[in-house]
Amino acid sequence: MSYFFQIVVSGIVVGSIYALAALGMVLIYKSSRVLNIAHGQIIAAGAFITYFLTVSIGMPIFFSFIASMIITFFLAMSVERIFLRRLIGEPIISVIMVTIGLGSILDGLIYLTPFGSENFSFPAFLPQEPLSLGGVSISWTQLVGVIITFILIGLFSWFFKKSTIGISMRAVSDDQFASMSVGISVPKVFGLAWATAGLSAAAAGCIIGNITGLNFDTLHAFGIIVFPVIILGGLDSILGAVVAGIIMGLIQQFASGYLDGNFGLNGTGDVMPYIILLIILLFKPHGLFGIHEIERV
Amino acid sequence: MSANSWLATGNFYTTYKQEQKTFSTSLDRSFFTLFLVILFAWPLLFEMSNKNMLVIDNILIAVVAVMGLNLVTGFAGLISIGHAAFVGIGAYTVASFCRTIGDTHIIITHFWPLMIIVSGLVGAGFGAVVGLPALRLKHLYLAIATLSFQMIFQWVINFASFFNQGQTISVGRVFWVTGKVGRDDHYFFWYYIILVVVVLLGFGIRNLLKTRYGRSLIAVRDNDRAADAMGMNPGLTKVYAFALAGFFAGVAGALHAYVYRGVGFESFTLHESIGYLAMAIVGGLGTLNGSFWGPVAIKYLDLQMEHLSEAMGQYLPSGMNLTTAMKPFTFGLVIVLFLIYEPRGIANWWRIAKSYTKLWPFRY
Repeated sequence: MSYFFQIVVSGIVVGSIYALAALGMVLIYKSSRVLNIAHGQIIAAGAFITYFLTVSIGMPIFFSFIASMIITFFLAMSVERIFLRRLIGEPIISVIMVTIGLGSILDGLIYLTPFGSENFSFPAFLPQEPLSLGGVSISWTQLVGVIITFILIGLFSWFFKKSTIGISMRAVSDDQFASMSVGISVPKVFGLAWATAGLSAAAAGCIIGNITGLNFDTLHAFGIIVFPVIILGGLDSILGAVVAGIIMGLIQQFASGYLDGNFGLNGTGDVMPYIILLIILLFKPHGLFGIHEIERV
Repeated sequence: MSANSWLATGNFYTTYKQEQKTFSTSLDRSFFTLFLVILFAWPLLFEMSNKNMLVIDNILIAVVAVMGLNLVTGFAGLISIGHAAFVGIGAYTVASFCRTIGDTHIIITHFWPLMIIVSGLVGAGFGAVVGLPALRLKHLYLAIATLSFQMIFQWVINFASFFNQGQTISVGRVFWVTGKVGRDDHYFFWYYIILVVVVLLGFGIRNLLKTRYGRSLIAVRDNDRAADAMGMNPGLTKVYAFALAGFFAGVAGALHAYVYRGVGFESFTLHESIGYLAMAIVGGLGTLNGSFWGPVAIKYLDLQMEHLSEAMGQYLPSGMNLTTAMKPFTFGLVIVLFLIYEPRGIANWWRIAKSYTKLWPFRY
């Protein structure tokens, strides 16, 4: 039984990371209807900036965490300004391909640094002894990661519900022309959406890096694995991203915990989210919390 | 039609039959024939190393694959981020035959044209199955569905012991009427075979686009409701667009398996899928000649970047890994620049050049 609860706990840990990673994508999709395939690279960039500031410059890890969020905030904003702003109104394949190209460019830039090929890990700043509750153990990094994730998600939902900027972002996602007519600058909102997405990506990168270690391949793989999450949750729902993230984390952990090694299967944790994704797409394409606006053919 | 086609300044069609001809003037036809003759003759005139020949074979295989992708994404407007998986299905069809009956079995070595067609048909079958979500999904959702197909394909190959866990499965040397194709002739031989395949499939697409089946692809891309109202079946058209793309990809995969004499997992990853999509876009989506420009441009760029970073590598500190860095960087930059400044791709330059020479020297 404790094996079961251990899987539940690790599923929630993994799932909350997925939720945070998916949050950035949902933010961008919500306001500008762009699917950002370069999200994984921004996550990696955030993590590496934090590492660089902590280890090479010697800042306390908490400050470098904040600093890297600010840096990626402006990085993502300039990415939107330079590349995406020119493509407003272009067909969807152009926009998807531009984010793919962007991801490739960021890949190249990261490969130029030592971060591209080697493994790093953050200096330990939390107790190494895992917490143990009735046979279920959870390490401090995981616990703190989950807590920070939920704080951040809470902050983002508050930002969207209550603050003026958040409300204007929601307005833009609802109807661009109507929001222009009440004096909201749509391009600025797009830029801001990318910037907040960059910020959340940096946070996600730091938390992932703390839990799994800094490896470029693992980090940017998160940019692909969040697709099942955002589809399950509905592409434009923050609550959906959180719920779906945790569901996906649980599914993945249960699959690799119970299916691997039995029935001659291996690595089912990697493929299960995509099988679920296909099933959702066929039967409930707007996801759990998404707006029912799918156009049926 | 003007009396002298040399002096024609425009198209003067009076019947549909004239418009549907593959070559509008005899000049066009003779240029194209000359081009084909050059393509077939040049390997005999120049001494090419096996390495360079492999690069050219590689480009031509990519041309076959990109023609298929162009059909589904360019002409039918359905985004597919899983094209490398279809190519992989073609290659693994050959590989699974090799696994079951042995890689030097007579079917593999003597009846390879049959194998290529079978791989294409298997690819088409998978294409139709993967295209089924297209009945319900559009745009972004369809793109994600094809992406998940790619991931599932990768998992199956990586973990199935039948496919050797993604390690290389070898394919035997083939026989031609003159006997076994040896090591020295291997890439030359396949250059001609792939060239014939490319020409056949190219004419196939060209003719397809003049029939109702090809036109219905374009109609569904432009407005599927209008196409429905005109009596086409958008759902069926989409599924069969995927099946066609699967056929092309399957043929490309089988050719890949034979040329490399082995099938390995790393040639069919998500990265390759993105590469095919980039080739289609750089070449020009929805154009036939774009399927030729794109692979040539991207593969050539890749090659040059390799040379450049090798040349520059010795002047840089060893920590900077230029070879791995330059490729994705330039690849991404080319995609982004093309999408921003020339979204219609190289095919558009070709069109401009053609209309320039057509009107020269009497421009408006």
